[in-house]
Amino acid sequence: MRVNFVLSEVAAGLRRNLTMTVAMILTTGISLGLMGTGLLIANMIGDMREIYYDKVQVSIYLTDDVTDPQRDAIAAALEGSPEVQDYIYESKAEAYERFTQQFQEQPALIANTPQDALPESFRVELVNPERYEVIAQQFPIGQNGVEDVRDEGDFLDRLFSLLNGARNATIAVAVVQALAALLLISNTIQLAAFNRRNETNIMRLVGASRWYTQLPFILEAALAGLIGAGLAIGGLVLTKVLFVDKTLAGPIKAGIIPPVDWSAIAAISPIIAAAGVGLASVAAYVTLRLYVRL
Amino acid sequence: MIELQHVTKIYPTSPRPALDDVSMQIDKGEFVFLIGSSGSGKSTFLRLLLKEDNPTKGVVTVNDKNLGTMSKWQVPKLRRTMGCVFQDFRLLRNKTVAENVAFALEVINKPQRTIKRVVPEVLEMVGLEGKESRLPNELSGGEQQRVAIARAFVNRPLVLLADEPTGNLDPETSQDIMLLLERINRTGTTVVMATHDYHIVDSMRRRVIELNDGIVSRDQSRGVYGVGR
Repeated sequence: MRVNFVLSEVAAGLRRNLTMTVAMILTTGISLGLMGTGLLIANMIGDMREIYYDKVQVSIYLTDDVTDPQRDAIAAALEGSPEVQDYIYESKAEAYERFTQQFQEQPALIANTPQDALPESFRVELVNPERYEVIAQQFPIGQNGVEDVRDEGDFLDRLFSLLNGARNATIAVAVVQALAALLLISNTIQLAAFNRRNETNIMRLVGASRWYTQLPFILEAALAGLIGAGLAIGGLVLTKVLFVDKTLAGPIKAGIIPPVDWSAIAAISPIIAAAGVGLASVAAYVTLRLYVRL
Repeated sequence: MIELQHVTKIYPTSPRPALDDVSMQIDKGEFVFLIGSSGSGKSTFLRLLLKEDNPTKGVVTVNDKNLGTMSKWQVPKLRRTMGCVFQDFRLLRNKTVAENVAFALEVINKPQRTIKRVVPEVLEMVGLEGKESRLPNELSGGEQQRVAIARAFVNRPLVLLADEPTGNLDPETSQDIMLLLERINRTGTTVVMATHDYHIVDSMRRRVIELNDGIVSRDQSRGVYGVGR
């Protein structure tokens, strides 16, 4: 295969269809960028699950007038329960401290909250997070100093379904955008083939192999896909530096939201590049097969 | 060399067959004129030889190969043994004379060494030495057709198909082109030329196959254009 010849054909093709090429690269880039964002959100959800689910699954809040024996009895029951993996006790003072930390951005709220407003509690980690009911039954509300038993997983589930929704929406938009990109690639390749019909006709007549005739077109699309992928990765890097690392610095530091690591971006970059090159090449190949006589 | 056995070609858009039960044989080294009015089936005949189209019925054989049973990936190989020349030259306007000829070899992956050697040879043979770096639009019609012939012949095909190669040229230039085709024929290349030009057919006295509404109406070994002319 004459590399120079093929490459010069590719360069000429991209130049001749400059506006279409730019449109093809931009739509591919946007689509891949959204796909990358979706993947990053998915990563983040995974990390957040680890942060939250591991810590707390069930909270047992105690009444204000709980007695020491009642508290000890609950602790002993948790200690003895085969359902309980681990538990921690949080006093009123510790609860208040955590509260002031969480809401340090809202001093007014802290100022209006009395130091003893927050109940003391046991934070329980279950062997199987689904077994919340067992704990709820073991510690009936309103008895033995138990004020409330709350399944924190329930709240987390709602939070995660929100995040999952965001991820799905991003990926859905990415798919629609990818469809637009594929159609645009198909159009561009048809146009390129039309522009070069003299060359391809002659190639066909002198017996150039189909592969030789098609390769420049496929490489053209692949190159556009690769540049699009480059734009998408660049966009993700900019988003991390300019948005995630700056705007979300507080919650990330506080451990509420996991940070977006460079390693995560590095891990999805090859996927984005492969998707860009792969989709563009396949779209070009199928177009040539279906619509273009070579 | 070239054989058609009961070949019929019907295009879906036309009720009348473009070729109707055509049988013929063309031997190696022959020079054949294919004549007949527009729509008589000449172009269809050439397209079938190149396997640009498949016959509706019948068998086409070129270089002892049955085109009907030939797989798609073998078609380029077949076409490398055939050269084509057209009325409208079909040169690449942005390439020079030498590049146009070299293109035919580059795209079939000939080594650069070979290309460097054979392109000047063939350009000299067609009488274009010294014009290697001209662009097609700087050449006369006759010269452009010479470039096209050089391109068709540079890979030393067994068969040269010419579809009205003199259709756009004045009589004198046409005569030069015919001399060139004759010269190519003398190297052993079979030449099949579709034409309307009766001056040429009459002066060359070669085999004439006349098509009429898709049927071979005449096949004469040393024929002229019109019967009784």
